[in-house]
Amino acid sequence: MENIIQINKDVSVVAYYFKNAGARLRCYPKKIEYDGKSIVFTEMGMRHPTKKGERMIHIFDMTDGQADYRLEFDAQRLTWTLVAIADAHLPQAQTSGLTAIPAGA
Amino acid sequence: MPNLNLPLNRAQPQIMHIDLNSCFASVEQQARPLLRGRPVGVTNRNTPYTCMVAVSYEAKARGIKVGMRFADAKLLVPDLIMVESDPPKYHHVYQILVNIMRSYSPNVTMKSIDEGIIDFTGTIGSVNKQSLPEIGHEIKKRLTDEVGCWMRCNVGIAPNRFLAKLAAGLHKPDGLDVIDHTNLRRTLSELELTDLTGIAERNQARLNACGIMTPLQFLDAPSEVLKRRVFKSVCGEDWYQRLRGWEVDDHEWATKTVGRQYVLDELRPSDESVRARLAYLCETTAVKLRYKGLASRGIFVYVRYASGDYWYSRKMFKSSFFTNREVYRRATLLFNQRPHDSYEREIGVSCYRLSQSNMNQISLLEEVNREVWLTEAVDRINKDFGEFTITYANSAASKEIVKQKIPFGSTRYFELLCNRA
Repeated sequence: MENIIQINKDVSVVAYYFKNAGARLRCYPKKIEYDGKSIVFTEMGMRHPTKKGERMIHIFDMTDGQADYRLEFDAQRLTWTLVAIADAHLPQAQTSGLTAIPAGA
Repeated sequence: MPNLNLPLNRAQPQIMHIDLNSCFASVEQQARPLLRGRPVGVTNRNTPYTCMVAVSYEAKARGIKVGMRFADAKLLVPDLIMVESDPPKYHHVYQILVNIMRSYSPNVTMKSIDEGIIDFTGTIGSVNKQSLPEIGHEIKKRLTDEVGCWMRCNVGIAPNRFLAKLAAGLHKPDGLDVIDHTNLRRTLSELELTDLTGIAERNQARLNACGIMTPLQFLDAPSEVLKRRVFKSVCGEDWYQRLRGWEVDDHEWATKTVGRQYVLDELRPSDESVRARLAYLCETTAVKLRYKGLASRGIFVYVRYASGDYWYSRKMFKSSFFTNREVYRRATLLFNQRPHDSYEREIGVSCYRLSQSNMNQISLLEEVNREVWLTEAVDRINKDFGEFTITYANSAASKEIVKQKIPFGSTRYFELLCNRA
């Protein structure tokens, strides 16, 4: 099973906006502040839209080279949420002690 | 019936089949760069005993196959990574693929979430100035530009759909092949019978029983032999034409049944728990009916027991129905007749004898109108605020447990599924 930690916390984000880029890279979250640390992203895997009821949500799958991060941008409330951190490199045992934080915590 | 005696179709290939192989796994690897180059299995449930609906090329190379249980695959490849499926992500890629395909021809048919067909008949030379192989390369490039560098697709070009799909499978994962009358025999000579789409073990046995051991012998077999001796139906004639490049597969099949089934999450479920799951299945079946604008007159319920026994019941009604309450009420009438010899393992509900819904027509009976208006109001609220914002109390517990996941094959309910996900 995958080493994935659910976070579901609002975070501060520094994002770039490229007016001439295609839809894929037009908005690029570069840096987030989480748990007292700055995480600088090096690559965007994919951005895809989805819906929560009538609210448009943009999901960004980002990586800093160490772990994969899933960010949600709520286009109605203008909030950024760090949904989950996944670390494919760590063996299961190293993350088994981490407690998943429930949604809305 | 005269014996068919058709030559090979010598027309210029106009059909292009596009296939995103290992689609879900490739999309996950695109979204999560750290998964790239690693064996990945996509499952519909976050449990080790579930089967994998897609595996990455790296996992395939190490012997993992789609449909294997994750726990078994993990024994074979200890560093296999399980990722739970994420329908909105796949829907996004699907939409991009459809938009790319529709920019070349209006005649686009999606065969499933990850494969589709473009019929270029009438567009070459007018709308599309390039040749089909050039368009195929352009589609590959556009897919990479618009989704990401890890996305690859196979392109097959041929005079009919069957040969185009065959061509798309020749050089995975990033192939582009053309099959026409000039290379058909050479291509078939390099394949096994089971490499042909639609020929699995049983059909292979039928062909072998009549002395047909290779695709070339299949191609050379007279239509009468295929029809009377091998398939014993008109399917034989279809195969005769299909292999020669003539189109026999451009049918649109109407929806005949709408339903849901579920393997229960408890080994010894209580009656209350089974009924809660049944209520949920009925509710989502009714939502599917209304999504397609259909009403049903027949209902079918089945139960598979832990002992291996199977029970089913079906009934036709005089009046048609499409509301959640009516589907549940009528399914329960049948469900109450089931034997109680063992624990239920799997349950299913299907609606059949479908017709266009008369939801917009006001009834003479006030109670019928009230139920329709209530259903419309609940559907509207659920559309605006998310699925199952208003749901039946007895199915509420199942909402978190029974998740509708990626369907194989049809994309008929894909929009509905993505709204719910």
